[in-house]
Amino acid sequence: MNSNDVAFKARPRRISHEEVRARIGEPEDLIKSKVHDRIDRHSRRFIAHAPFLAMATSDATGLPDCSPRGDYPGFAKVLDERTLAIPDRPGNQLADSFRNLAENDGIGLMFIVPGVREVLRVNGRAYPTDEPDVLARMRTEGKAAQLAIVVEVAEVFFHCGRALIRSRLWDPASQALAAELPSVGEIAAEQMGLDIDPAVVTRMLEAEYRELY
Amino acid sequence: MQRAVLERVEPVAEGAVSLVLRGDGGPLAAWEPGAHVDLVLPNWLTRQYSLCGDPADRDSYRVTVHHDPLSRGGSEYVHLYLRTGRTLEISLPRNNFPLSPAAEYLFIAGGIGITPIVPMLASAVEAGAVARLVYVGRSTATMPFADELRATYGDRVRIHTTDEHGRPDFAALAATLNPLALVYCCGPASMIDTAEAVFPPSRLRVERFRPAAKQFALNSAFLVDCVRSGRTVEVGAEQSVLDALNHAGFPVPSGCREGVCGSCEIPVVGGEPEHRDDIGAPPGRMYCCVSRALSPRLAVDL
Repeated sequence: MNSNDVAFKARPRRISHEEVRARIGEPEDLIKSKVHDRIDRHSRRFIAHAPFLAMATSDATGLPDCSPRGDYPGFAKVLDERTLAIPDRPGNQLADSFRNLAENDGIGLMFIVPGVREVLRVNGRAYPTDEPDVLARMRTEGKAAQLAIVVEVAEVFFHCGRALIRSRLWDPASQALAAELPSVGEIAAEQMGLDIDPAVVTRMLEAEYRELY
Repeated sequence: MQRAVLERVEPVAEGAVSLVLRGDGGPLAAWEPGAHVDLVLPNWLTRQYSLCGDPADRDSYRVTVHHDPLSRGGSEYVHLYLRTGRTLEISLPRNNFPLSPAAEYLFIAGGIGITPIVPMLASAVEAGAVARLVYVGRSTATMPFADELRATYGDRVRIHTTDEHGRPDFAALAATLNPLALVYCCGPASMIDTAEAVFPPSRLRVERFRPAAKQFALNSAFLVDCVRSGRTVEVGAEQSVLDALNHAGFPVPSGCREGVCGSCEIPVVGGEPEHRDDIGAPPGRMYCCVSRALSPRLAVDL
């Protein structure tokens, strides 16, 4: 704990789901009906314009992990109204998502289109593939994806825009927040205990970022 | 770059649509039959399409796009998501497949490979040349412009459907070819490979959608001297010249990244390039997405 943190006398109180429901109420039938079991034309169009998604998986014990994926809009491919495929590009080789999927095939996706306040949520079951016809659709800058994640869709729904409105996510003025954070080099140098000038670490990372594929 | 508004999307065959693009605030750049343009799609992808309208029409361009079932996101976007009224960026026309003067022509098109051939055939007929077209496709329903071409040119156009008649006999075409005729062939790789096997190389011009399968010596690293800026860029064995230049901050444009479109042409002023493209670089030029170096250093005008 950081010495500046407000000290709690105890852990924050845990309340039951019944108590939660008592506070927020039951969803209206209209809201429940927005959950579909397949990718309709609006969801398909949204996915075709999304350059970014967050991908949640969890291991056998239920410990979750959420990982960012991004590329040109439509990088996640709709194979049919029940199936999606997400390319795997070079990353940190930790393969957390793949390891989780081997233990627990549940997956949750959140697609984001810049400028749009609503997000698209897709939940389902997933597995890795090296199917050539799937990987062929994912060639970028002359390089094929090495693997893809196939998602068998169970639930698809648009999530309302309040979170993105409150967060001012698409307001250009919000980008001023970045200046309030330390550089990636400062963070990495401290967290990894490196005795290197943080500016050098930042430059090394920037050079690595130029090799995206 | 120029800008144009997508005015119409017209279905022209099963799995093929024509896009009519009207110049945004003035005439579009002139072009010659065989030319193509890069279209920058709203999903950030750039794709090359042959111009298949009338070169005399300076107000609009027409391109025709086949929906590739293994689309990487270009033709799928055009077919499923592109909306009329949208303003699109279009490159200036580039011609890697120009029509040379001749008294007689044999045009061979396979499927969507008909697109550059349509204005070439019109131009050849208008010039008074003897011109024939052999147009190959699975079935007439899948072949854009088949009816119009038959209606306009009659017996000069032979439609060959492989579902009914199998592959056409190119050897027979070659055997009866006037030795002075030029042969223009655009279509899938298997068709171009067959054409290259039977027609004399000096008479044959081809345009490929995808690169031919080729074998090269193993890649090695080399240096590129950018003479105008006085900088030297190292190209790794597993890296393209294009990527190395882009990473070093030289904004060289690119399109197909497979050596077929010509977007990434750069001027070479020294050293010996190893040309790996399917276009045929003119002297003093190279297509840096695929081409490398035979000499340890290249000098380019960047």
